[in-house]
Amino acid sequence: MITVVVVDDHPVVIAGVRAWCALADPPIKVVAAGPTIAAAWLDPGDKADVVILDLQLDATGPAYGDLKRLVDGGRQVVAYSMRSDRETVLNTLDIGAFAYLTKAEGEDHLVPAIVAAAAGTPYVPPVLSGAFGTDDRPHRPKLSAREHQVLIEWFHAESKEMVARHLGITVHRVNSCLERVRIKYANVGRAAPTKAALVARALQDGLLTADEL
Amino acid sequence: MIGAVEQRLHIQVRKYALGLRLAVIGLSSSVSLVFAAIPDRTVAAAVVIAFNVWSLAYAIGMVRGAPGARRWLPVADVAVVCGVCLAQLWTVTSDPRGGATWVFVAVHLVAVTYPWQFGWRLLTAANAAIVTAYHVGTMLADPGGWLVDPSISAWIAAEAALSWVLHRFVLRSARKADLIIERGARLRREVEIASARRAEEREYVAGLHDTAAATLLMVGSGVIARPETRLAEQARRDLLELRRSDEAALGETDLIPLLREVARTGDVRVTWRTPDTVTLPAADAVALSRGVREALTNVARHAGTDNAEIRVSHDAELVSVEVTDSGRGFNPAEIAELRYGVRHSLRGRMIRTGGLAEIESRPGHGTTVTLACFRAGRDPATDDRAVIVASFQRGLRRAVVLLSAAVLLILDLQHLLTSQAAYVDQWPQFVAWLGLLAVTVTAGVAAWRDRTLGRWRLPLLAVVFALSALATASIRPAYLLGWAHWSEGDAGWQVVLLMMDAPVSALAAALGAQYFMTFGQAALAGNAALSVTGAVSASWTVVAFQFSTAMIATVLRNIAAESARQIRATERLRTSEAIAVHLHADRSRRWSALTATTVPLLEGLASGALDPGAKSVRDMCTEEAIRMRRLIAEADDTDPLTAELRACIESAENNGVAVTFAEYGTRPELPPTARRRLLEPAIEALATASGKARLTVVGGLDTVTVSVVAMCQPPPPLADGDGVRRSVVADNERVWVRTEWRGGE
Repeated sequence: MITVVVVDDHPVVIAGVRAWCALADPPIKVVAAGPTIAAAWLDPGDKADVVILDLQLDATGPAYGDLKRLVDGGRQVVAYSMRSDRETVLNTLDIGAFAYLTKAEGEDHLVPAIVAAAAGTPYVPPVLSGAFGTDDRPHRPKLSAREHQVLIEWFHAESKEMVARHLGITVHRVNSCLERVRIKYANVGRAAPTKAALVARALQDGLLTADEL
Repeated sequence: MIGAVEQRLHIQVRKYALGLRLAVIGLSSSVSLVFAAIPDRTVAAAVVIAFNVWSLAYAIGMVRGAPGARRWLPVADVAVVCGVCLAQLWTVTSDPRGGATWVFVAVHLVAVTYPWQFGWRLLTAANAAIVTAYHVGTMLADPGGWLVDPSISAWIAAEAALSWVLHRFVLRSARKADLIIERGARLRREVEIASARRAEEREYVAGLHDTAAATLLMVGSGVIARPETRLAEQARRDLLELRRSDEAALGETDLIPLLREVARTGDVRVTWRTPDTVTLPAADAVALSRGVREALTNVARHAGTDNAEIRVSHDAELVSVEVTDSGRGFNPAEIAELRYGVRHSLRGRMIRTGGLAEIESRPGHGTTVTLACFRAGRDPATDDRAVIVASFQRGLRRAVVLLSAAVLLILDLQHLLTSQAAYVDQWPQFVAWLGLLAVTVTAGVAAWRDRTLGRWRLPLLAVVFALSALATASIRPAYLLGWAHWSEGDAGWQVVLLMMDAPVSALAAALGAQYFMTFGQAALAGNAALSVTGAVSASWTVVAFQFSTAMIATVLRNIAAESARQIRATERLRTSEAIAVHLHADRSRRWSALTATTVPLLEGLASGALDPGAKSVRDMCTEEAIRMRRLIAEADDTDPLTAELRACIESAENNGVAVTFAEYGTRPELPPTARRRLLEPAIEALATASGKARLTVVGGLDTVTVSVVAMCQPPPPLADGDGVRRSVVADNERVWVRTEWRGGE
C-alpha cells in the first residue's frame, strides 16, 4: 500500500488529504502528518513513500531549503501550495520536487499525483502545465510546437478529452506529450533521485530516446 | 421584478390568444349561421352577432384597457359565454353527421385561450362555469340526443389544462432568458465600469504628467527661480485642469473648439486647417485634444520653433489630427520607447481609446505627429436575441413533447381501447399508436438534450404519415372520422413536433397535407361517421390549437428580437449611469487626495504667495513632483484586462459561481475592441454557469488566450474579428470556451 506523510500547517488541509486518500482506490495510507517538516523526518513519517509538502509553512516565503533537503534525502515530494506564480512553481520543480499542485487542484489531482509519485511515472497537473508552457527562462528545455500547444491547452481546459478534441489528436497523444515534457524538465534539472528515476524509466519505456534528451 | 422578455411575452401572447379566438369563432359561427340547419335563425343571428361584437370589445378592453378593467372583463366574458351556452336551444341543431356545432368550437377556443390571459385560479373557476353551462345548454337543446355527451366536458377541461401547461413552459423559458440576460448584463456592466474607471485613471494621470507634475518639476529643479506671470498663469491653468478632468465624460462633443482652446494656452503659434466642426464621443475628443497639447508642448520644448500647423481630417471611420512643425526634428529610434511623454501621453492615450498615434521625424526636417480615433466604438454585437430564441425554443419544444405524449396516452388510448368493433384489424391501430409514441419520445429525447433533429426530421415525418395512413386504412368506413378514428387529428401533433423549427409555411404545408391525406382516404372510402364537411368543421378546434402552437414559435422569435433591442437600450443607459456614479466618486477621491498637498502649492504659485526662488518652496515642489511620478508609474502597472477580469469574477461569484482563476505569461497591451471581443464569450459563459468555473489567461509574445471551463450553455455564435478567434468545445455538460487574440492579424 502507498504511504504518505503530510506536512501542512492547516489542520483542515490535513483532514482533507486524509479523506481523499482513504477514498482512493486502492486506498492510500497517511502514516503521519504535522505542521512542521519534522513530521517527514521522524518515525513513522520518515519511511513514507511520498511527502506532501505545503511550501508556505511560515511567513518567510517558500520552504525551498526544506524541499532541497528532502529531495537530497531521496524522498519523492509533491509540493502542495496556495501559490501559483510561475517563479515558485518552476523553482520548486528545479529543486527536484516530483510535482507541483495548487490547493485548488487538490480534489482532482492529489491522489493521481501521489500514485504517480510512488510509481515514479511523470505527472503534470494543469497549473504546472501552464507554468511549463509559458516558461521563458534561458535554461528551459527545448519543447516541440505540439508539446507547447498541449501544455497551454491542458492548463486552460483541465480535461484531456477536450484538449484532444480541440487539437484534433488522441488523448493518448496528449498524455505522451505531457510526459515527455516532464522528462525533459527532469533532465535539465538538478541531479536528484527524482530526475534519475524519471529519466531512467522514460528511456526504459521508450517514451524518449537518449538522442532527444 | 418582471424581466423585459417576460413582460413582452405577457403582452404579445394575450394579443395573439385574443386574435385567434376572434378569428376562429367569428369564422365558424358565421359559416354555420349561413350553411347549417338552425332552429331559430333570427335569435341565432342575434346571438352570433352580439357574441362576436362582445368578443371584439373584450379583446380591445383586455389589450388596451386600464388594469382595473382587466379585472372585471374576464368575469363579464365568462358570463357572456355561459349565456351563449345556455341559448343553444335556439342556435344549434342536433345532427350526428354535422360535426361540431359553432358553440362547441367557441367554448373550446375560449377554454384553450384563457390560460394565456390570466392566472390559474380564475381559469379554473371560469372553465368550470363554462363547461357546466355548456352541458346544461346541450341538455336543454337536445334532451337525450347526441349533443349531450359528458365526455365532451372532460375533453374541454383536458385541453384547457394542456394549454395551461404549454403556457407555463413558455413562461418559464421567458423567465430563464431574462435571468441569463440579466446575469450577462451585470457581468458586462462590471467589466465596462472597471474599464472606464481605469481608462479615466490613466487619462487623469497622463493629464497630471502634462500639467501639474511638469510645472512642479520645473520649479523644483530651479528652472524658474523668480515669481513670473508665466508661472502664475501656468499654475492657474494646472489647477483648472485638475478640477476639470471630471469632464472627460459621456456624450458627444465638437473637437475643434477643444483643440483651439488647447492651442491658445500654449506658446506655439498655430496655423489651422480644419473643418468647421467635427463631432465625436467626448472621451475621444478629450483624448485627441490632450494628445495635441502634448505634441505642442514638445514643439515648444524641443523643436526650436514656435510655429506649427494643425490639420484635422475625418471620414466615416476615422478622425485624424496632424501636428506638423518645421523645427529641428529628431531621430525617433533614439527616444521612442523611453520617454513617458511619447510613450504614454501620446501613444498610450490613443491606444486606450482604440485609436493610433504616429510620430514622423528626421533630424533637420521637422516633426509630424499624427493622432487618430476610430469613429463609433465598434461593438462585438453580442446577441441576446440568440439567448432568448434558444430559451424559448427549448421551452416550447419540451411543452409540445409533453402535449403530444399526453394526447396519445390520455385521449387516444381511451378511444382506441373502447372502439374494438370499429377496426378491420386491431394490430395496425396499436402499431400506429406505439409508432407515434416512439416518434414523440425520440423528439423528446432530442429536446431534453438540446439537440436538433437535423437530418432525422424528414424520415421521421415520413414515418408519421405512414402510420397515420395505416391507422386510417384499418378503420371500417362507417367509423371513419368519428370517435374511433383517433389518429385523424391527433397525428398532427407529431407533425407539429417535428416541424417546429422549420418556417411556419413549411409547417402549415405538412399539417395541411396530413389532414388532406386523412380526409381524402375517408372520402374515397365513403359512408363515413361524419360527412367530410362535418369532419372539417369538427377539426377546427384541433387544427387551431396545433397551428397556434406553431405560430407561437414565430411570435416568440419576434419577441426575442424586440426584447433584445429593448434590453440593449436599457442596459446602455444603466451602464452609463453606473459608470458616471463611479467616475464621480473616483474623481472626488482623487481631488481630495490632492487638496492636501498639490493644490495648496499650485494655489500659492498662482497667487504669488509662494516664492519659487525660496529653497523650502523648491523642495516642496520636488517632493510633490516625485510623489506624482510614483502615482503615474503605479497607474501604469495594473493592466486593463486584469482589472476587467477581476470585476467579472467578482460579479460571477455574487451569482453563486465558484471561479478559480489562474494566469501565466506576460501580455502585450490590447486594443480595447480586441479586449472586449476576447472577454465577451467568457462573460456569456459565466452568465449561464453554475457550480464551479475555471477562468484562465495565458499571454505570449503576441498572443493572449482567455478560456473558461464551466457547466454552462454554449454561448451564441460570434463572428471572429479584431484578431480574435473563438472556439467552443462541449463535453457532456461542461463547456470550454476559448478566445485567442493574435497581434498583427
